[in-house]
Amino acid sequence: METAYESTKKRKQAAQKDIAEPVKKYRIKSLRKREELSGFLFISPWLIGFVALTLGPLLFSLYVSFTNYNITSKMDFVGTQNYHNMFFNDGLFWTSLWNTLYFVAFSVPLTTAGAILLAVLLNQKIPGIKVFRTIYYLPAVLSGVAVYLLWMQLLSPSTGLVNTALSWFGIRGPAWLFDPEWTKPALIVMKMWSVGGGMLLYLASLQGVSKAMYEAADIDGASAFRKFFHITLPMITPVIFFDIVTSLIGGFQIFQEAYVMTENGDGGPVNSLLFYNLHMWNKAFEVFDMGYASAMAWFLFVIVLGLTVINLKFGKHWVHYGGGDEK
Amino acid sequence: MKRVSVLFISILILLGMLAGCSGSAGGPQEESSGDSSAQKGKITLNFWTFWGSETRRPVIEKIINDFNQSQDDIYVKHTFLPFGDIWTKNLAAISAGNPPDVIINDINSVQHRAKNNQSTNLSEYIKDDSFKDNFYPRLWDTVLYKNEPYAVPFNTDTRLLFYNKKAFKEAGLDPNKPPKTWDELEAYAKKLDKKSGDRYERIGFYPLWGSFGPPSWLMNADNGKGFLSKDNEVQINTPEKLEGLKWLKSWNDRIGAENVNAFKAEFGSEQSNPFIAGKVGMWVDVATFYTQIRDFGKDMDFGVAPMPAKTSDARHWSDGGGFVAEIPKGAKHPKESFEFIKYLTGEQAQTYWASKNFDNVANKKASEDALSKLSGNDKMVYKEAVDNLQVTTMNPVPADAPDYQNKINPLIDAVLLGKEKPENALKKAQSKVEQSLKK
Repeated sequence: METAYESTKKRKQAAQKDIAEPVKKYRIKSLRKREELSGFLFISPWLIGFVALTLGPLLFSLYVSFTNYNITSKMDFVGTQNYHNMFFNDGLFWTSLWNTLYFVAFSVPLTTAGAILLAVLLNQKIPGIKVFRTIYYLPAVLSGVAVYLLWMQLLSPSTGLVNTALSWFGIRGPAWLFDPEWTKPALIVMKMWSVGGGMLLYLASLQGVSKAMYEAADIDGASAFRKFFHITLPMITPVIFFDIVTSLIGGFQIFQEAYVMTENGDGGPVNSLLFYNLHMWNKAFEVFDMGYASAMAWFLFVIVLGLTVINLKFGKHWVHYGGGDEK
Repeated sequence: MKRVSVLFISILILLGMLAGCSGSAGGPQEESSGDSSAQKGKITLNFWTFWGSETRRPVIEKIINDFNQSQDDIYVKHTFLPFGDIWTKNLAAISAGNPPDVIINDINSVQHRAKNNQSTNLSEYIKDDSFKDNFYPRLWDTVLYKNEPYAVPFNTDTRLLFYNKKAFKEAGLDPNKPPKTWDELEAYAKKLDKKSGDRYERIGFYPLWGSFGPPSWLMNADNGKGFLSKDNEVQINTPEKLEGLKWLKSWNDRIGAENVNAFKAEFGSEQSNPFIAGKVGMWVDVATFYTQIRDFGKDMDFGVAPMPAKTSDARHWSDGGGFVAEIPKGAKHPKESFEFIKYLTGEQAQTYWASKNFDNVANKKASEDALSKLSGNDKMVYKEAVDNLQVTTMNPVPADAPDYQNKINPLIDAVLLGKEKPENALKKAQSKVEQSLKK
């Protein structure tokens, strides 16, 4: 049996413990809190910017996608009507989605392969290689509208440089930007021109591949071909992965090219260059249907998110990170 | 001590950021068109236009100056915004509650803006019922939404047929007899064609170059009826329009789509306009195209005529656009703004604008007065343009389906490329547009 004294003592101890513990915790917490506070203060410029300028509008547009918002006169909740119209009543939506998928499906693999090929070529040790590197990187420095205008001249059907060059080989070039069958290929060719940016990343990672592996392969008598596919490629997969993820996201955002290179920015012959974002832009700023445009934007987000998740999932199976931590 | 300084520094950085943000708000390029001391005690009106070119800017700024000097209470400040930015900037400014007081905007979409609450109803400020009689009735019609004016027409344009007289003589055609009908147009065009081997050195005429697109030709074919009637009745699939579309397609078949594209790709800057360069014999464009001929085509011998009609008993239908002055919704001084609009669209300012730009102005009297101030080629082109207003239609976009043309254009593209039958295309276009108007 417990005596009254003992029980009182126990209670006292317990009470003391109760008091003592919080005091200790309070001290730690307050130090952590203060550190946290200054941490938040340090990143507050970014935080405020993100909340006010990105997160706020982002959530606003999500809400807007369920309304008939037109900026100036109305904002009534219409449920999923915008999404319904998108899938069932707007033929141009499907056209624009198809055009965008077509562009992404060809341009992403081609530019990735092109950049790798270029990087491997420019990784050779020959005199003057730095000059070549600079030359191939240059197009990536030039930007935007000026490049598109230049390409409109290059792709001109009868006097453009592209078709002139083709005619030297007896090929009669297509009308590129005027023939709906060739408008998208024309844009993809144009994109190939600026693989220099990706090339730079690959070049850096190629130079990080350990020489020891090539030496070991040489001793085993591996051919250049085998060395490329069994050493070089696996070693640069992290960069390939990064490049594919980012250029896939970028590919879906194609807009300027079509806006600048088609008459009145209306999507080219037979809407062959009406990309998703161009259609969205027209809906938002030509007819002020912000609700619909926001719905389109969120649907594109879902597509890109889905593809990126798939990418990350499958990435595990083919991306090789040197330095262990493999599962 | 350390903690305090960390806090202090981070707050300092934060403040710096905020200050940086507020200080760097880049406004549009502003230029006041008068002495700033003159605006003391006056109401300042912000006037937005896209007239920044060397030819137009001095003209509009003189008009503003004249107005400012005549005023004791109002001072107008001109802000030039590039054509590509002005509408979106205006929209953003309206939704932010800080719009310009007066803006020059597109004439064909007045109803659309009125419906969406982007512009001010002017009926309150137009006290005089005869005010509308100052303007061409067709233009006045475009500014009405539910029978009330939301803008005042400023200028308009009309398409004319320009033809190269030297090429006419060369081809054995009478340089004083421009084609009057579609058949004549085609016959003349064939005579004006010049080929070396398979390649065209000169193409007599191609209907879709210049500024008369398929909608315009089909309107011309269908007795001046556009795709939509005044009450938004869809009239796309009509026998006349079908004939018109087939006729347009026949040009592609005769000349060859490749030749058309090859030629078209070369149209770039004004200096190489194919009509001025003599590569195309006849060309449809607005009257102000004349200033390009004047500036870039040294002593070019050209004539100007109304659009050819479909048959000899049809009218020479042409179409036009133009611009209006309006008061964006939420502008602070609508009464004073309208005062300025009245001056802008009044006889004096409009006459000055017309005689400097060869532009069709909306004010009837000014339009005619300007004629007496011109001579030579200036007068010839300007007179044709004014006369042509009789047969010029306007095609305002319906407030409920402002992008209806997006549904038609690809179908017509497909016909011209031989990928769709004209009959099917018009049928599809008709039902698609009907559907979008019903929604």
